[in-house]
Amino acid sequence: MLELLEALLFSTLDAAPALIFAALGGVLSERAGVVNVGVEGQMRAGAFCAAVAALFMPTPLGVVLGMLAGAGLAAIHGYLSIRWRSDQVVSGMAINLVALAGGTFLLESLYSPNGTPAIEQLPRWTLPLIHGVPLLGALSEHSGMTYLALVLPFVFHAVLTHTPIGLRLRAVGEKPHAVATLGLSVQGLRWGAVLGGGLLAGLGGAVLSTAVLDRFEQHTPAGLGFMALAAMVFGRWTPLGAFGAASFFAFGNALRIGLASSAPGILEFIPQGFLLALPYLLTLILLAVQGQRSSAPAALGTPYEQESR
Amino acid sequence: MTRTLRLSTVALVALLGACKKEEPPTPTAPAQQPQAEAKPAEPPAPKALKIGLVIDVGGRGDHSFNDAALRGLETWAAGKRYEGGKYAPASAEEVKQSITQDLANLQPPITALNVEPLVIQSKSPEDYEPNLDLLVEQGSDLTIGNGFLLESAVEATAKKQPKAKFLLVDSLILDAENKPYSLPNVRTVTFKENEGSFLVGALAGLVSKTGKVGFVGGMEVPIIKRFEAGYRAGVKTTNAKAAPGLVAVYTGSFDNVAAGKQVAQDLLKKGVDVIFQAAGADGLGVIQAVKEARAAGKQVWVIGVDSDQSHVAPEVVLTSMLKHVDLAIYHACRDLTEGKFAAGDVVLGLKEGGVGYAEVRLDFPGKAEALQKVEALRQRINSGELKVPGTMDEFAAFQATP
Repeated sequence: MLELLEALLFSTLDAAPALIFAALGGVLSERAGVVNVGVEGQMRAGAFCAAVAALFMPTPLGVVLGMLAGAGLAAIHGYLSIRWRSDQVVSGMAINLVALAGGTFLLESLYSPNGTPAIEQLPRWTLPLIHGVPLLGALSEHSGMTYLALVLPFVFHAVLTHTPIGLRLRAVGEKPHAVATLGLSVQGLRWGAVLGGGLLAGLGGAVLSTAVLDRFEQHTPAGLGFMALAAMVFGRWTPLGAFGAASFFAFGNALRIGLASSAPGILEFIPQGFLLALPYLLTLILLAVQGQRSSAPAALGTPYEQESR
Repeated sequence: MTRTLRLSTVALVALLGACKKEEPPTPTAPAQQPQAEAKPAEPPAPKALKIGLVIDVGGRGDHSFNDAALRGLETWAAGKRYEGGKYAPASAEEVKQSITQDLANLQPPITALNVEPLVIQSKSPEDYEPNLDLLVEQGSDLTIGNGFLLESAVEATAKKQPKAKFLLVDSLILDAENKPYSLPNVRTVTFKENEGSFLVGALAGLVSKTGKVGFVGGMEVPIIKRFEAGYRAGVKTTNAKAAPGLVAVYTGSFDNVAAGKQVAQDLLKKGVDVIFQAAGADGLGVIQAVKEARAAGKQVWVIGVDSDQSHVAPEVVLTSMLKHVDLAIYHACRDLTEGKFAAGDVVLGLKEGGVGYAEVRLDFPGKAEALQKVEALRQRINSGELKVPGTMDEFAAFQATP
């Protein structure tokens, strides 16, 4: 029983980081009032650039370049939606489409349609004290990304709730005009949040190609970006909520896999398709129950115009 | 406000333009290239027949099902190599290398035909029918739908275009009640995957040290269940102890490598040492997980599917269950060039060379003996003495006779 639990925990910790980073990226951008449906595309860009870069340089450096690639796509989103006030959903979807087709095009012209050549994976860390200890041992043998994913949400939370910059970020998503009357730049804050969101989504993608796999594979991230958005909504646009939701989704997935291998009888009663759809179903239910009292930032999706009221 | 509106309209128009533009590169790039190349070079030769192929969302480069189809059409029938979005002639050596050992002595041998491939990848299931339509409009003499996912699309297009010829791989034409029927312009090819899976299952049972073997499937559909049933029966025949504890897990997709890896890691943690995967691109994740476990010092193996997947990870791929989609497509092309193409339902099993297993290149204790046993089982299936179960119900009634 303990072993089963340990396997479950290990599997969750291995799969969750990409989802957590991407969900945090969504939170950062959306708390500042810019809808970010382009997470999927930013992840794809991050995954591709990280893998390609890691062919020529140490993998951690490749991860950084992958983050920058995510931010690069986010910059296009920012340029369209902040500078030109275009519809944020449309511009986000455009990013997804461009990344999907562009990734396939670049992959086919540079390498082969299968994926990039194999790179050196991020090393896995063996934690000396707890390695091999029942249950706790599940914490060992992960890449650094897993540990980062366990710490980052708390740092993000602290910054968002306890620092002036965090207050400004939240304000710019709730009532940008109030921020403007204080003499702060609404556009500047939103740019910062969108680029930061791109960095995080890019990191989420880079994790997929450097820690989970050892190359960019043509389908990456296979809808994980949308699941991250669901986690963001499910976590009510808070860093800790998104972290919890993303971990919960990853755990649910690991549980489904674990059940299938250790208690196949259960799946006779619950169809696998239901379990696959569960994260989205939960998000829908939450949205339906919340009704009017949505916890989304008040100015989310509204382009800022100084003259409007 | 109006300015915002206008700008978002501009963005929308740009987006729509972008969408439209994104679609064709895949179809037109390979389609136009050979035309441009072919025109000046061949004045007297008869016009090449155009063979259209629509592959499913698994895409080019799955090292598996779709790549097998592309090999049959591009490498074998057309003698071409796809590289960086265009075709180049394939050398004789390349063609020879792409032919697996079990087909090396095929009579008549595989030779290039006078055909021109038009390949379209599908980005989503909604694309299947428009893509097939597009190929027919571009004048393809035979249009191939690769995969059971394209069944309804091929059915619909074949009804709309009664003069065009179609080949549907991996499924019969099914009516609304899922009853098979036939159309006068469609040839279908299906495989007895259970027979090939039986042989690799038998091998897995002989190789396993821990007595725990596993199976990873993609979507839980009847075809993949056929793999599972055959595999289980094979394991039961050579290793009765491992059969009851055999774990079969489905990832629910064919395009999610990470999911495949997660499933395989879970199986490996539970002591499974041989995994057979039939999960499209998810299967590459399974191979990845086994590769990593081997690097960490575990004695574990993986069995590939559809194509010979040994090159993906030579150190851990024990063998691959071969499903000769390549041969089925090559035969259809040859029949077409010889004017012998006829509609109907073709079923390819072990006896017909439609399924089998790839050369076992890795060494393990008792290898020669194990292979002998597997070959003996092959003879018994070919002679009709051994009936391999094709569904889980049939497997329940299956009596293993070693």
